[in-house]
Amino acid sequence: MKKSNRKVMIAILILLTSVGFLIYRGLADTGVYYMTVGELKTSVLGQQLGTNEAVRVGGLIIDGSIDYNQRDLILRFSLKDENNPKETIDAVYNGAKPDAFEPEIEALLEGTYDRVKNLFQADTLLVKCPSKYESEQDNEQEVGK
Amino acid sequence: MITFGILSQIAALFFTLLSMGLLLSGLGRNNVRLVQAGKRGLLSAMAATTLASIALLSLFLTDSFQVEYVASYSDRALPLFYKITAFWAGQKGSLLFWAWVLSLFIGMVIFNNRKEPDNRNTPYVYLVLAGTLSFFLFLLCAVSNPFDTLNFLPRDGQGLNPMLQNPGMIFHPPILFFGYIGFTVPYAYAIAAMITGNTGVDWIRKTRVWNVLSWIFLSIGIILGGQWAYVELGWGGYWAWDPVENASFIPWLVSTAFIHTAIIQERRGIMKVWNMVLIQLTFLLCIFGTYLVRSGILQSVHDFGATGLGGYFIIFMVIATIGGIYLLAESYNEFKTPGSVESYLSRESTFLFNNVILLALAFATLLGTVFPIISEAVTGNKLTVGQPFFNQVNTPLFLMLVLLTGICPLIGWRKASVSNLRRNFLRPAITALLAGIIMAAFGIRELYPLLAFTLSAFVGATIIQEYITAIRSRKKLSGESSALAGLKLLWKMRRRYGGHIVHFGLAMMVVGIAASSAYKLESQGTLRQGESLSIGDFVLKYESFRQYEKYNRTIYAATLGVFRDGTRIDEMEAERRYYVNAKQPTTEVAIRSTLVEDLYVTMPGIGKGNEITLKVAVNPLLIWIWFGSGLMVLGGILAIIPSRRKKS
Repeated sequence: MKKSNRKVMIAILILLTSVGFLIYRGLADTGVYYMTVGELKTSVLGQQLGTNEAVRVGGLIIDGSIDYNQRDLILRFSLKDENNPKETIDAVYNGAKPDAFEPEIEALLEGTYDRVKNLFQADTLLVKCPSKYESEQDNEQEVGK
Repeated sequence: MITFGILSQIAALFFTLLSMGLLLSGLGRNNVRLVQAGKRGLLSAMAATTLASIALLSLFLTDSFQVEYVASYSDRALPLFYKITAFWAGQKGSLLFWAWVLSLFIGMVIFNNRKEPDNRNTPYVYLVLAGTLSFFLFLLCAVSNPFDTLNFLPRDGQGLNPMLQNPGMIFHPPILFFGYIGFTVPYAYAIAAMITGNTGVDWIRKTRVWNVLSWIFLSIGIILGGQWAYVELGWGGYWAWDPVENASFIPWLVSTAFIHTAIIQERRGIMKVWNMVLIQLTFLLCIFGTYLVRSGILQSVHDFGATGLGGYFIIFMVIATIGGIYLLAESYNEFKTPGSVESYLSRESTFLFNNVILLALAFATLLGTVFPIISEAVTGNKLTVGQPFFNQVNTPLFLMLVLLTGICPLIGWRKASVSNLRRNFLRPAITALLAGIIMAAFGIRELYPLLAFTLSAFVGATIIQEYITAIRSRKKLSGESSALAGLKLLWKMRRRYGGHIVHFGLAMMVVGIAASSAYKLESQGTLRQGESLSIGDFVLKYESFRQYEKYNRTIYAATLGVFRDGTRIDEMEAERRYYVNAKQPTTEVAIRSTLVEDLYVTMPGIGKGNEITLKVAVNPLLIWIWFGSGLMVLGGILAIIPSRRKKS
C-alpha cells in the first residue's frame, strides 16, 4: 500500500471509530424501553424501573376516561393493555389534545411512571393515525369478498 | 370498470413476464428480433398499467364505493382535487402508482435508446427493469389488489383523512415516489454492466441525468413532506425523525454519496466497486422506504415481516441483495483499477471522507429506525430511540459534512500544494471566523448553533470567492461586464456551478435549521375576545370570531391582530375545522412568515363564549430552510441541463 493511501486509510479508521463511539453513546444516553401497559405493570423489567427513569408505553385509550382541560391544556386519560384490558394506568399530559386522540385508539406515551399512584406523567404523546393506513374496520369489511 | 382494471393489471403482468422471457431467449440465442419483441412487450405492459391506473382514477371520480379501496379513501363530499389524490392515499393505490410510474420510466428508457443499436448491455437493463416491474404487478394482482370489491354497496365512503386534505398531499407522495422509482434505472444499468463486464464509466455517464433527477425528486419529496408537517400537523416542527421520514432520508443520504463518487469515477476512473455498491444500496433503500411507508409495519411494529405484503418485500430485497453480492464477486476482476487516491490533501480524499460521513449518517439513521426490532430480537426487550438519539448522533456528523462541503471545492484533484491551499483558504476562513465572533457577540454561545453558523459562512464564502475569481479571469479574457461574465460562467460551466448552488442552498438550510431549532420561542394561553398574548416582540390580540361552511367542512375562525411596538402590523386567522365524516375537529395552522422569523399559531381549544386557547411559537430564520432547499433543487436542475453540442 502506498504511503498516501495509508494516511487516507488511517484517517478513515479514526473517523469510523469516532462514528461508532458517537452511535454507542447515543444509544446508551437516549435509549428508552418500550412496553405495553401490561408489561409496564407486571414484567420484571417494568417493575425494576425507577420513578425518574424515562420509558415509552403503548396502550388503548379507555372510553370515558378522557378529561381535557382545554383552557390550561392539561389532558388526563387512562390507558389499557391491548391484549389484557384489565391492566390499566392513568396518564396526564400537559399539552394540546392531538386531533386524532379518540377512545379505543392506540396511544404512545414517553415519560415517567409512578408505580404507587399508578400515574404516568407523559412528556410526549403520539396517537396512531386512525385512517392513514389500513384501518381495522376495513379489514373486517373485507371478510367474504 | 372494475373488471377492466383487474384485467389490465393481469395483462400488464403477462406482458412483463412475456417480455422477460423474450429478452432472456433473445440474449441466449443472440437474436436481435427477440430482443425487439421483448421491448414491444414492455411497451404493451406500460400501456396496460396506464389503463389500470385510469380505471382506478375513474372509479374514484364516479364514487364507486363497491370498490373497497375507493370506499376507504374517498366520499361523495370530497372535493374533486382530493378524489384524484386519494389514488395514492393508501397502500394498494400507492403500489399501482409505483408500477405505473416505473412502466412509464421504462418507456422513457426505451425511447432514449431508440437510436442506438441494442448493444450487449441494454437487453439486461430492460430485464432488470422488467423484473422490478413484475414484482409490483404481481403484488397488485395477487396480494394487494386495489380493485377488490366489498360484498355490499356502502351508501358513502369513509372519506379521506382530513390531514391528507392539503395541497402538500397532492405533490409530496408522487414526487417522493418519482425519486424512489427513478433510481431503478441507474440500478438496472449497473447490474447490466456487471453482467456483461462493461464496468467502465459508461453506465455512470448514461445514467447521470436519471441519478441527479431522482435525487432532485427525492429532495423535493422530503422537503414537501417537511412543509406539509409544518403547515398541517401543527406541532410547530417540520421533521421528527419519524420512521416514515427516515425511510426517505436514508436513500437520499446514500444517493448523495453516490452522486459524489460517481464524479470521481468519471474524472479518475477509480472507485468502481464502491459505486456499484452505492447504487445498489440506494435502490434497496428505496424499496425498503416504499415497504416501510406502505406495508403497514409502522401501524404495528410488532408484526415486522409477518404481514402478507412485508414478506414479499423482504423476499424481493433478499434476492436483490444476494444477486448483487454474487455479481460483485463474480466481476471482481473486471474492477481492478490502475490508480488510487494519491494524496490525503486532494479532492478525491475529501469526497471519500464525505462518503464516509454520509454513509455513517445513513447507518445511524437506519439503526435508530429499526433499533426496536433489533433489540427485541437480541435481548427480548424493546429498546427504542427517538429524536434525542438522532439529534445527538447526527448533528456533529452533519456539521462535519458542512465543513467538508466548504473545504472540498478549495482543494484540487490529485494533490494540492500547501501554498495553493493557504491562498484559497485564507479569506473564507477569516470570513467564517468574523461571522463566528459577531454571532458570539450577539449572545449565541451554544456550541452547535455557533458552529453551524460559522461553518455555513465558511461554505458560502468559499463558493462566492471561487465565483468572483472566475468572473475576474473571464472579464480579463473577454472584456465582458461583471454581470454578463457571471451569467455566462453559470451557463457555460453549469455542472460545476449547479453543484456550488446546491452547496450554497445546503448552507442556507443549515442556518435555518440551527436558528429555528435552537432559538425557538413558545407560549400558550387562553383568551377572551379583546385579550392579548405576547411572545418575543409580538403581541397577539383576539379581535373577532366567526363560523362558516365551506366545501365539506365547517370552519370556526378567530381573527388575531398582530402587534409589534404597539402598532398593528398584520392579522392572522386561527382555525378549527369540522369535516363531514370525521369525528374529531382538525386544528389548522396560521403562519406569518418573514425572512427573519415565522410566527406560528394554532388554536387547540374553543371554549364557552368563544373563549379560545392558543399555542404560539416564533421560529427564527425558518424560511431559510425552504429557500435553501429551493436553491438545492435549482442547482441540481442547472447541473443536468444537457449541452447542445452533440457528443460523438
